[in-house]
Amino acid sequence: MKLLSGRRIVLATLALTCASGLFALPARAADNAKQFIQSFGNQLVAVVNSPVPLAEKKTKVLPLVQKNVDIDGIGRYCLGRYWKIATAEQKQHYLTLFHQVLVNAITDKLGEYRGVSFTIGDVSKVGSEDSVSATLVRPQQPPAAMQWIVSYDSGKPQVVDVIGEGASLRLTQRNDYSSFIARNGGNVDTLLSALQKQLDRHAQPAD
Amino acid sequence: MISGRNGSRLRPRAQDQHDQTREGSSAYRRFRLGTLCLGLVMVGTTGCSSIKAPVPKDPDALAEYKAANDPYEPLNRKVFNMTMKFDKWALRPVAKAYVWAVPRPVRNSLGNMITTMNEPSVFFNDVGAGKPRRAGDSFVRWCINMTVGIGGLIDVAKMAGYPHHDNDAGLTMANWGISSGPYLFLPMGPSSFRDGIGYGIDQGLSPWDYVPRGYGLVSFNWAYNMMGVVHGRSEHLEDLDALQRDALDPYATIRSAYQQQRKAQAEAIKNDHRATVPDWYQ
Repeated sequence: MKLLSGRRIVLATLALTCASGLFALPARAADNAKQFIQSFGNQLVAVVNSPVPLAEKKTKVLPLVQKNVDIDGIGRYCLGRYWKIATAEQKQHYLTLFHQVLVNAITDKLGEYRGVSFTIGDVSKVGSEDSVSATLVRPQQPPAAMQWIVSYDSGKPQVVDVIGEGASLRLTQRNDYSSFIARNGGNVDTLLSALQKQLDRHAQPAD
Repeated sequence: MISGRNGSRLRPRAQDQHDQTREGSSAYRRFRLGTLCLGLVMVGTTGCSSIKAPVPKDPDALAEYKAANDPYEPLNRKVFNMTMKFDKWALRPVAKAYVWAVPRPVRNSLGNMITTMNEPSVFFNDVGAGKPRRAGDSFVRWCINMTVGIGGLIDVAKMAGYPHHDNDAGLTMANWGISSGPYLFLPMGPSSFRDGIGYGIDQGLSPWDYVPRGYGLVSFNWAYNMMGVVHGRSEHLEDLDALQRDALDPYATIRSAYQQQRKAQAEAIKNDHRATVPDWYQ
């Protein structure tokens, strides 16, 4: 009887901890997402506003992006239905190219802004992901409202999408890629060579 | 138009042979109408291959086709290419010249004026969508900006806490539960069956269409519309340049972004449950 009550106590404590853990989980996840975007945003804004040349800004932003953005995940999403039919080699080649394309897209934006600040709004749940709304304030321009989508699939919070003016960047990109592949005979290689061309073109005027 | 032409042709004969002709004329008209319908159907079927996209059989491709909601893609792409050519050689250079010639503060004022002048159309649509708070905002914006704001050149209403919000007949219909219908690319930009009809309704809602002739208001209307197009284009010079540079299929990218944006705009209006009475009254 004594043993039973002891076991009961242990079980009850266990159950209670589990339950409290369960209840606390969504709130903690939302807080996590908010904190994550806050710190990632602060770091980005610090680099953007720093009085250093553009090349230096780019090298400073690169590790931040690689750490906090799930580039592989976004890449897989953007290839859409062609991810299933692509060969292992194509997939690997595509992800390498996509990494560079995405990093270029982000770092290209750096030169355009200075004196930037941002505020974080509320967090809402979209499926298994968190959506953190934020407002970017740029001098002499209307404030831009956006939502950062944070996913935990990789074990840590990472940005998987940005929604600006109601349009999801990754969905728009996926439609761009899949339409391009479909119009080129459904061949993934055509996308790879187009991305390569894009990267070559991007490298030319900068150097 | 067709019946008018038929009528004028048949009238002399009808005078000669009274009874017979009445029957004959209707038969003739039916015949003509039938030929016309047949012709249209034939044009429709032969033209279909260049207007309508084939429906894919592969389930994944079919899902994508349905999500894109663009059965008239071949036709839309033709209009898109034409519009982009016109943009490249006419609209974009004009917009660039406008940005070069007109300093930003002046451009901002003109932008404010264009926004304010469109406020009546926004107001009627807010009323149509059953959103009194939004309707009140656009009404107040119109009143303040047209007077204190010197014909809309200064956005005083925004400073007073009434920022601009967009609305148009397409969004109003979306709020009534009318689905967008297939995607359309019109010469004035991305649209859909619903939004295209909405565009026509909005033209009708603009009070400038009802000004009496004379008073220089008609030429003002023309200038205002042209100005609106050039100014609107000048606001998107960098975005569209970037899109054309970075997108592999700019047509599909614009289609996707437009459809998502319209959906989000309609949702935002639907979810606006702000109270009608102002904050200080509560």
